[in-house]
Amino acid sequence: MPETSAAPEPHVLIEAYYDAGWTDGLPVVPPTEASVATMLSATGLKGHEVLGEIPGRNTVVIADKVAINAVLAGCRPEYAPVVVAALRALCRPEFAYHGPASSTGGSAMVLIVNGPIARRLEINSGNNALGQGHRPNATIGRAVRLSMMNVMNTRPGFLDRATLGNPGKYSLCFAEHELDHPWEPFHTTRGFAAEDSTVTVYASNSLYQVYNQLAATPEPLLTCIADTLGNLGSPNLKGFNESLVIFAGEHTEIMKSNGWGRRRVQEFLVEHTRRRVADLKRAARLPGPIAETDETTWRYVFEAPEDILIVCAGGRAGSWSACLPGWGKKWTRSVTERIVEG
Amino acid sequence: MKLFDPTMPPAARAMALAPRPAGLAGLRLGLVDNTKFNSDTLLRKLAERLERRHGTRVTVTRRKRSPSHEIDENDIKTLRSQADLVVSGIGD
Repeated sequence: MPETSAAPEPHVLIEAYYDAGWTDGLPVVPPTEASVATMLSATGLKGHEVLGEIPGRNTVVIADKVAINAVLAGCRPEYAPVVVAALRALCRPEFAYHGPASSTGGSAMVLIVNGPIARRLEINSGNNALGQGHRPNATIGRAVRLSMMNVMNTRPGFLDRATLGNPGKYSLCFAEHELDHPWEPFHTTRGFAAEDSTVTVYASNSLYQVYNQLAATPEPLLTCIADTLGNLGSPNLKGFNESLVIFAGEHTEIMKSNGWGRRRVQEFLVEHTRRRVADLKRAARLPGPIAETDETTWRYVFEAPEDILIVCAGGRAGSWSACLPGWGKKWTRSVTERIVEG
Repeated sequence: MKLFDPTMPPAARAMALAPRPAGLAGLRLGLVDNTKFNSDTLLRKLAERLERRHGTRVTVTRRKRSPSHEIDENDIKTLRSQADLVVSGIGD
């Protein structure tokens, strides 16, 4: 039989990408000329076009590298505009990339997708929205993380100094549940129209599910959420950062049926997350000896109501919501970016 | 076997290092506090020790917006013109 120059078996290519150090630990989808070209075309950008820069790290993000990483991650081409928008957001000065990306805090880059594109791409906003099983959720976030590693040099042990890290660093992407929402969709609070498509990037180093099956009114439920946001081990106590609260399941219905608006929820949480200075000193979250006045002096966890990001996602059944404390202090802010489709 | 390289090396940036001072005696000292907890305390104590041992004096102190941000360009100009030696910190 004549010899043929057949393409390598997929497992050979997969191992080669491992050997090169270009994966996140999971096998990648080996790119081809055609798949990279199709992905790049779906970004609507030229190969050399710059998506963003991070001057302090001499980082430049260009489109053709993003396209390769999106293919490696397993994205379908139509996901590319979401990946591009998320990377643009990471490069905005207000996100202050270096801190959340490199810190010992080991943040996941949470991606919240709003608008028509979320429904068109079938990004999961329902049951198990933060879990496994949905390709866009799994691969869009993965493409962003692979781009962080490969293009933005954010590699574990090098410029990613996470002490523990968290599983969300593989991917933490979901859509907001906009169709049965107690409030207006999140992106409209940031100046976008409901029919706009956006992605919000937000750095969080943990995810804490909040349970309450007895509450029938907002106050007791929000008291539990406030306790979670302001617990003594929380990074929130470092000083006026943001936090994300995801209302889900029956908790969403409690808010809706009682007519609590987003602002009222935020204000309640600001007021009920404060801690006594003495408690913070006893736990060494503040330095110094405890003075008598510390027992009656309050320290607020949040500077402003809008620092508590409130979204709605998850299945309709169940008594669960989630708190995701933000990384760092107020110098790093979540960024909402418009998704531009070709 | 063709692999598609997904990496991008850091963009090269021309950078010239200032010559190291031959000694510390009498130098003007600049301090850059990166806002990490206790960085101001550590820098102050370091400056006191340098002054005691070498007669340096602090001529400029600047505090960054955050550890994540670069120092402002205007502050760099001030440090360049008013300090012979700059100490910045800290990491954790």
